[in-house]
Amino acid sequence: MSHVWELEAAALGQIALAAVVLGAGLPALFALGIRASAWGRGGAEVAADGGEHPPHPLGRALSTAVFAVVMLVALLGVGFVVASGYGKALSFEHVYPTVVDR
Amino acid sequence: MTSATTILVLLVVVALAFDFTNGFHDTANAMATSIATGALRPKTAVLLSGVLNLVGAFLSVEVALTVTNAVVEIQNSDGSPVAGLSRDGGTALLVIVLAGLAGAIVWNLSTWLLSLPSSSTHALFGGLLGATVAGLGWGGVNWAGNGQEIDGLLPKVVVPALASPVIAILVAGLATWLVYRITSGVAARSTEDGFRWGQIGSASLVSLAHGTNDAQKTMGVITLGLIATGHWTDTETIPFWVKAACALAIALGTYLGGWRIIRTLGKGLVEIAPPQGLAAESSSAAVILVSSHLGLPLSTTHVTTGSVLGTGLGRPGATVRWRVAGRMVVAWVITIPAAALVGAALWWLAHALGGGLVGAVVVVAVLAAAAAAMYRRSRTAPVHADNVNDDWRDGPPADAPSRTTVPA
Repeated sequence: MSHVWELEAAALGQIALAAVVLGAGLPALFALGIRASAWGRGGAEVAADGGEHPPHPLGRALSTAVFAVVMLVALLGVGFVVASGYGKALSFEHVYPTVVDR
Repeated sequence: MTSATTILVLLVVVALAFDFTNGFHDTANAMATSIATGALRPKTAVLLSGVLNLVGAFLSVEVALTVTNAVVEIQNSDGSPVAGLSRDGGTALLVIVLAGLAGAIVWNLSTWLLSLPSSSTHALFGGLLGATVAGLGWGGVNWAGNGQEIDGLLPKVVVPALASPVIAILVAGLATWLVYRITSGVAARSTEDGFRWGQIGSASLVSLAHGTNDAQKTMGVITLGLIATGHWTDTETIPFWVKAACALAIALGTYLGGWRIIRTLGKGLVEIAPPQGLAAESSSAAVILVSSHLGLPLSTTHVTTGSVLGTGLGRPGATVRWRVAGRMVVAWVITIPAAALVGAALWWLAHALGGGLVGAVVVVAVLAAAAAAMYRRSRTAPVHADNVNDDWRDGPPADAPSRTTVPA
């Protein structure tokens, strides 16, 4: 196998891995937020016995936190698009994202 | 005006026309799911997507002038045309690029007429490939780069095209499965709003990314023509009017909306519910952004189609129309060769007519005639904002919406 195909396989593997984490992780997190918000509002979640639940403040707090995280990652996505338009890239070298030259 | 300059003007017009088809061909990628689930009204969706494409296109400050280098060898690595093509004021290069663009447009319009999503980037590369092979022989093809980096037709275009739907199906399938698992038992009325906003957000991200990625390919092609004819010498930047014209062309195309393709992707392939719409668009946004971050940008069309398919597979009991999926796969596989054949045929036509101004004019005339014929054909069974969400009936897609033949 020539060098280019090794690079190709590595790149596609990385893409698949990162896309699974972000592309499946975020909707899952979002769904968690929706579930928490239903819990927070109460009554909305249908229990197995068909009864209604009282509103729970923890659910509200949890859903706010989860949606904030989802929003942040989405903004990171916008940041990435803008940065790449300027020929820059986002680096996660310092854990928090920084804009660097590509 | 010299004949080279006249051909250049034709090239700019045809390139902008390609950019326009690129816009309406790909509206579906971002917005088909949101339209199908009713998260956005059809007209609102195409407006939002058009505006975001415009913004995205203007964000492309650093435009790669070497867009053609991925598949053919008509440019040096700094963006200037190769030595053999600069004679007659760059006419030889202009005619190759013009025939290639015309081939790409013909293929884009054909797949649109058949209501099939297909990659505009592949169409562009295919057209350029055919015109280059016709003009320079097989030696003009960049098959696999220099072997040291991911470059050339096979590593940069063909293999990613095969891999991207697989990745997208996997990601969207998993996302859908997780979303349904997590929200099972929660009443629909408390989830609907959330999924609606999630869908709009993720679809917007796809639109923005599309504007930055796709418009700059046309910007690069037009600038190549300007450099070849000596109207532009800077190989680092592009003229502002090129950027503005390309941004407007792709945004207008997006706003027009390729309703036939939106219908296939939103209603034909899978019956989409709001949680699936969210899962599919998030998966598309993630795959597109991650792949372009890692330097191997994947085709928006292949990724979103894969995501929609994946979201059908990830939800137990969802309907997936494999016949429609099969037709799409066929369209993908033949996009490059088909656009290449048209590009090559048009180059030969121009060449037979002397390879200069007359040839270029005839190529444009043939293109215009083909476009007009396909547009007229599409009017016999129009798809538009008002019937885009009608129930899907199996059969040739041209017949599906015909019961509501409202002239539009």
